[in-house]
Amino acid sequence: MIVYLSQEELDAFASGEAESQCGYAYEWEGEDVVHLHTQPLAHAFGRVSKCFFSKAAPIVSFLNDVLWCVFVGGDGPQVFVKTDNELQRVDSQMIPSKENLYSRSKGILEVGILEKKHVAVIGLGSFGSQIAIELAKAGVGEFSLVDFDRVELHNLARHTCFIKDLGRLKTDAIEESILGKNPYTKIHKYPLDISKNNQRLEEIVCCADLVICATDNNPSRFALSQALVDFQKVGIFGRAFTRAEGGDVFIYHPGQACYSCLVGNIGVVHEEITDEVSARQTGIIPAYVSAQDADAMVQVGLSADIEPICNMMIKLALVELSRGEASGISCLEDELVYNYYLWANRRERKFSNWHILPGAGPMPTIMRWYGANISRRDDCAVCSKDEILLDTGDEFEELLQSF
Amino acid sequence: MMKYSRYQAEIKVLEEKLPSNIYRFMDMNTAKPYLVMAARTNRGNIYTLKIELDVFPDNIPKVFVTKMLYDCNLNPLDTPSSSMHTLNSENGCTQICHYGTSSWTNRVSLYKVYIKCRLWLEMYEAHLSTGAPIGYYLKHQS
Repeated sequence: MIVYLSQEELDAFASGEAESQCGYAYEWEGEDVVHLHTQPLAHAFGRVSKCFFSKAAPIVSFLNDVLWCVFVGGDGPQVFVKTDNELQRVDSQMIPSKENLYSRSKGILEVGILEKKHVAVIGLGSFGSQIAIELAKAGVGEFSLVDFDRVELHNLARHTCFIKDLGRLKTDAIEESILGKNPYTKIHKYPLDISKNNQRLEEIVCCADLVICATDNNPSRFALSQALVDFQKVGIFGRAFTRAEGGDVFIYHPGQACYSCLVGNIGVVHEEITDEVSARQTGIIPAYVSAQDADAMVQVGLSADIEPICNMMIKLALVELSRGEASGISCLEDELVYNYYLWANRRERKFSNWHILPGAGPMPTIMRWYGANISRRDDCAVCSKDEILLDTGDEFEELLQSF
Repeated sequence: MMKYSRYQAEIKVLEEKLPSNIYRFMDMNTAKPYLVMAARTNRGNIYTLKIELDVFPDNIPKVFVTKMLYDCNLNPLDTPSSSMHTLNSENGCTQICHYGTSSWTNRVSLYKVYIKCRLWLEMYEAHLSTGAPIGYYLKHQS
């Protein structure tokens, strides 16, 4: 039998006034594994039974319907299980306390720094869900999770969620995943559409140290870009192109080029359409497109194709969160100096003329990151300090005069 | 919600391009601001356009002709149509499909939206004369 106890909970119980307390045992049935907790878990698992926590020696007669008993004495906890009305001692292991949970990362990541950081993740699809969980695993202490959507069948292939999560709000499902990895994380959930809640978006951005923009449409990115500029926050944008043939990552630093500058410089790209319903809501698939044609427009790339893009966003996030602090990841500050990164998965469409990997030499190939610095646009509608220069459509004016 | 600096920039463009008596911003301090504009076609007909500004400039604003228009066969233009460049009507008003999401950027001015809708109206009147769908004259809005 493998038994786990929570160090943090035992410390709290030992230092409290109560002599005994009824807790909970969560047993993975048929696997001989049980986790004992003084407090009920938000998301229970396995078979649940009662567990008696006591500072005095356990007494069998107290344990009518109690299967487990934890004696918290001077020499560490002792765990007993009731078999045939007798108590049998079993060995136990500890779920480490907060400061030791991610001690293996020490030397590479400064867990103490990350624990104090607050990251807002906007969009909890296949990108945002993975990034949020990875940052939690790295030890980030506080999250704002933003997504109005629910987990649906078509999400599952690339999402961190499971079939059991179908129908749940993504904010709830990802909260559970994060707490499963790091139960000490503080989480704020916002199941809302940021495109229609500018004020709330500003509140979320204002409180965060770093913002991950993992939405799948430009209107939400434009809204987020404006909030980042207004509140002078660092933001990381990532997306996949059609069928995830490639993708790009953009990082906004206050005072430098914003996402609108990026669109102004490189133009609008053809993005992956992963979901007909949301694509129709955002207008990416126009209302007059038939269901059959829309079905053909939904072309989803492989999970493996978006992994490199997620990974780059995570690395950039960790570098930003650790910036200026001595850690093993500091060396990446000298490497990841660009604000725009391009990745190609396959030699298709815009990458079709790229070179085959073997023998390509310095020529562009797939499966390799390319960095560039996007310059700030003086006429940017979002970040320009000068007069905003709008697109007035002069070409259409000329066309109109021809009639 | 449009920021004040953007609002000023839009007004500046409109003042440069159009007489001040053909447009008016309405309910700007509410959740449903909009712009009303008059449009005279080359044939001399006058239409009123309502441009909803609640998601502008991050997203494409909805544009309505403030009445129901009918095609050359007297069918109302009240449903999404690829050939006629319309979207679902609301409150009995025809909605113009004036921009594609994939090409929208937040630099597009309200004046450009207006000009594209003026073009649509010219094509609409040409359709009434010839029977050819608007798509015949107009490429898909990009």
